[in-house]
Formats: sequence, structure tokens, C-alpha cells
Amino acid sequence: MTTIREDLTDRTLWAEFARNSGRAFRFMLRQDWFGLSMLALLTLFILGPMLNVFVWAFTATRIRPPAILPEEWGLRWWIATFERLDVIEGFTTSIVISLIVTGLAAVICLPAAYAFARMQFRGRTVFLLSFLMTNAFPRFGLYITIAVIFFRLGLVGTVAGVVLIQLVNTLLFMVWIPTAAFQGVDKALEEAALDVGASRLRVFIQITLPMVLPALSAALLLTFIGTFYETQGAFLIGVPNVKTLPTVMITLINHPITQHGAVLSVALWVPSMILLIFSQRVLRGGSLAAGFGV
Amino acid sequence: MAQLTLNQLSKHFGKVVAVDAIDLHVHDSELLCILGPSGCGKSTALRLIAGFEEPTSGAIRIDDADVTHLPANKRPTAMVFQKYTLWPHMTVYDNIAFGLKLRGLSKDEIKRKVEEGLELVSLSGYEKRYPSQLSGGQQQRIALARALVLEPKILLLDEPFSSLDALLRVRLREELKRIQRRLQITTIFVTHDQEEALSLADRIAVMNAGQIEQLADSSTIYAFPQTLFVADFIGEMNLFDAHVTGTGIQVGQTLLPAPDGLPADGAVKVAVRPEDLRPLGEGEQAAMTWTPTIETVMDLGHYQKVLAHAEAVGDLKVYLPKALRVDEGSTLSVTPTRYLVYADGAPPAEVKLTEQQGITQG
Repeated sequence: MTTIREDLTDRTLWAEFARNSGRAFRFMLRQDWFGLSMLALLTLFILGPMLNVFVWAFTATRIRPPAILPEEWGLRWWIATFERLDVIEGFTTSIVISLIVTGLAAVICLPAAYAFARMQFRGRTVFLLSFLMTNAFPRFGLYITIAVIFFRLGLVGTVAGVVLIQLVNTLLFMVWIPTAAFQGVDKALEEAALDVGASRLRVFIQITLPMVLPALSAALLLTFIGTFYETQGAFLIGVPNVKTLPTVMITLINHPITQHGAVLSVALWVPSMILLIFSQRVLRGGSLAAGFGV
Repeated sequence: MAQLTLNQLSKHFGKVVAVDAIDLHVHDSELLCILGPSGCGKSTALRLIAGFEEPTSGAIRIDDADVTHLPANKRPTAMVFQKYTLWPHMTVYDNIAFGLKLRGLSKDEIKRKVEEGLELVSLSGYEKRYPSQLSGGQQQRIALARALVLEPKILLLDEPFSSLDALLRVRLREELKRIQRRLQITTIFVTHDQEEALSLADRIAVMNAGQIEQLADSSTIYAFPQTLFVADFIGEMNLFDAHVTGTGIQVGQTLLPAPDGLPADGAVKVAVRPEDLRPLGEGEQAAMTWTPTIETVMDLGHYQKVLAHAEAVGDLKVYLPKALRVDEGSTLSVTPTRYLVYADGAPPAEVKLTEQQGITQG
């Protein structure tokens, strides 16, 4: 603004205001076009394939190329897919392995999380940060080096091997979220319970645990989902004997009948979505971020 | 109905000495305040008594039992914390009943006691509320009820009202005193608020740097602070650097009468309460007169506080009755009527100056 303010009459002020706001509006519009086109592009890129899979999953007959939609809708392929022996086996294997991994992770990580939150010991912060290490390296490279060791130990192709490799993935969630949750419980609340005569065990069960339960269940849920859908590690260590559902899906993708893969994809997608929405509600308030603040 | 005795109690955190060999005896049904600035060790002392900290050395006795190494959940003490410590996942009823259930009381008995406790803190009918539905003051009253229903031998309070607003703090303080008098429960109240301590306590233990500087009732602490720290910490005080000469005590350009028993020579401190500086009337003369220039006048309701500066001695604080009109920038003549003289390592000597300038000593 080079004009001297005192020289401006009301009229010139308004003119300037109009000129400026016009410029701003045009700029906004230009920006908006850019934003809109990005939005459209992303929608196409993300929702497009998902919609396509949905359409395929509920196709009864088939889709003739110029048309986008099938000639007939139906659940025919759902029945066919879930009658496949490899799918049934994969589903059972996945459930069993996920349960074992979640249980083991809870047994290992929850006491560790409590210790991180409540005790001061040497190297505590470094130790806590070390759990980020598994996420700091390219996952697949890590798996291959582990696979080499597992091969020598005879763990490749066994349930134990798959469980072990999947445990690696759970560490971050199962340590950091509960640590943050335990830290969120004011020590004075525990002391108050101790003060009225409760034993340490009772304080933990009746005071501390109920207060961290939402975050703990979210961590368990995320671990279960994460394990259920984990593909790389399970594929690399599990072949050829142990096939989890995602591993089965990989083989189905190249299957001549597209619908098998599509049905399985939708079937796997829906429950994870529901669980993730649920866990997101529980994890409100940045409990993960609180873990970083140690 | 119980007594508490601390015997050479110490607590060290690494190299930091939080509590330094304190001796303290709390009588039956006494309300004792531990008063001190933050970091003086008062809270640590209370946590030692409650059993949340293990003492480095010394002993804690309640009546005739040595509880020094008893864990917190086995001690006959109950504590109200500075923070709000109601358990958020329990109702008010469950919060109060928690300790009673641990004692294996019958359901009816627990119900009766919870109701009694709520009535005691005037919150009857709040059983079904959750802590998040209560105000800060209500939460602290429930916390008090939770402690009282257990009928502890010693009630411990760690700055329980410090996070409440001033008005509520005063009201809860009065309520606490009333309850304490009714139940005749031996109580230790930790605070950094001297007004709180002066108004509540039967006796006050003033703590500084891990030690008890003075243990006495409110009026003694105010009138005869035993150490310079207490003199400065409790109430308002004019403190002057001075030195003893052959003829008296030289404060700035003024010579004050000296009490007996002072060393003939050396540095001392003279402490004058603002209310012990008497304003002189028109034309009135006194042997020791300071005529400071008034810098600030603060209206404190029932009296006014004047901050002034005199060439002869430096800054002065004076309390004046409201009837006396003074203006900032004008001068005021005052004469000391009573002061304490602190020589190094000795208890203070009191000097009272009468109207006729005669000297009485205490």
C-alpha cells in the first residue's frame, strides 16, 4: 500500500476494498479449482478400484467389456468362494494365529507397558523408542533377513514361525498405547486407594485397570486386526504349509475367475472397517501422541 | 483420639534432604498445620506419615504403635490429597464405600456409614453422581467424607483446598474446622497459605529447608517468630539491617533502644510489624520518628496498607486505620511502638516503647 492513508476518502477506500476482494475471490476460485480437481482425482484413484471390486463381488454372471455394470446381480460367487477348501482353511488358520499372537503380545507387552509407565530405570526412553525400530526399516527387507534365520532354525512353514514374525508387528501398538494409557492414570488415584486400605493387586485390578480398559481394548483390537490382515510376513514364513487368509487371497488374485478375489476382498474389508471405526472412537484424545511425549 | 510422634524423622532423595531429622508430637484431637513455602519438605513429611514414602531414618509412632515401616494400606491414617483423587469410574457412593467394603462391613452398615459421611460434608443425596458431575469443591468434600468414614486415627490433609477459588477455600476451611471439632479427630493439615494455617490450626509447625523452624500456636507464631525466616514468612514484616553500638541499635540514621543481653557489637536484624508503626498526630513529637514519603496506598477493606520510603531507614510498610486520610506523594510521621531484635543464633529480644518513651523489655 503506497498511498498515504490520510489522503483516502471513503470512496477510494471502498474502491480499493472492492478491487482487493475481487482479486482475493478470483485467487480463491483458482485455488478451489485446483483443490476440486485433486479431490476428483483422489476419489477416482481410491474409490474407483474399491467400487470396481464391489461390483465384481456382487456380479452373478459377468460383465461384458463396454458395459461397466454386470448383466445380473447376485450372491452366487459368495457361496462359491466360501465353499472353497483353501478359503475355509485360510480363514481358520488366520483366526487361530491372530488369537495366539494377540494373546502372546498381551502377555509380553502389557507388563512391559506398565513398567514403562510406572517405573524409572536406566535406558527407559531408549528402550521405549527401540520399539519404533521395527517400523524404521523397510519391512520386507527385515522379513527376508529373519526368514533366513528362521529357515536355519526350521521355523519356515510352521505356525510357530508365522506367530513369531507377526509378533514383531504388534510390539509398537501393544507397548506404546498401553504405556500412554497407564501414564494417563494419575498416581495419586492409586495412592488414594492404597490409603483406604487396598492391596497393590487390588489397586491395579479395581482402580488402574478399569481406567485404562478402553485404550487397552483398542490396542488389542488393533493388534488382532493387524495380525489378521498381515500378508508379507505370513506369506514369506508360512509357505508352503501355513496359509492365512491374505496369503490365500494372493493366489486368488491371479485366479481366472475374478469374482473369488473380489468376494474375499469385500468380505475382509467390511469387518476391519467396522473395527477400525470403533477403535478410533476409543483412541480419541491422542493417546498415541501421549506415548511420544515421554 | 490418637497421638502422633515423629522422632528424628528424615527423608533423603538422593543428595536432596527433603525432611531433616524432625521431631514432632501431635496431641489428641489437635489440628496441627504444617506451614512452609513450596519445596520445604512439608508434603514429604505428610507422605512419610501416610506411608507413601519410606523414611531414610527416624521413627513414626501412632499412640503406642511403631508404624515406621508399615505400608500405607495398613496404617490407621487417611489422607485428602491436593489433586482431585476420586476414582472417575465409580459413583460417589462407591468411592466412599470402597474402603468400607475392604473392611468387610455388612451392606447395611456400609450404606449407613456412607450416608453419615455425606451428611457430614453436607452432600446428602449425591450418592449416584460421578466425580465428573461434581465441582472441585464438592469433589474435595467427598474425598474428605471418604477419609472420615474409615474413622482413621489421624486425618491427613495435603493442601486440599489450594486449587479452589478464594471464597470457596475459606468456606471449606470453616467447614473442615467444624467437622474436626465435632469428631475430635487428630488432624495434620499441610499448607503454604499462612492465612489458612493461622485461622485453622491449634498449633502451627513452620517448616523451612526440611526442618521445623517453630512450633507454636497462631498468636505466638505471629507475635514472637523465633527465627528470621518465620518473621519474614508469617504475616507482613519490616526487616532492617542494623548493628549494635554502645548506645543502642543503629538502623540507618536512627538510633533505637537496645534490649538487654545483646552482644556489645555486631550486626543484627530489627523486625517491626506494620501495625507496630504508630502514626503521629498533628504536632505530636516522639523520640524516634520516621517521616517517609508515601508511595502507594492500598485499600484492604477494613484498613489501608501504605508502602512508603524514608531516607533514614529505607522502605516501610504501615497499616493505617481507614479514618486517617493519606495521599500518595505526601509524607507521614510514624514511630515504632514494638520491635524484635534478631542477633545471630539467638532467640529474638522484644522491645516495647511506651508513650513516655520508657522501655520495657521481654
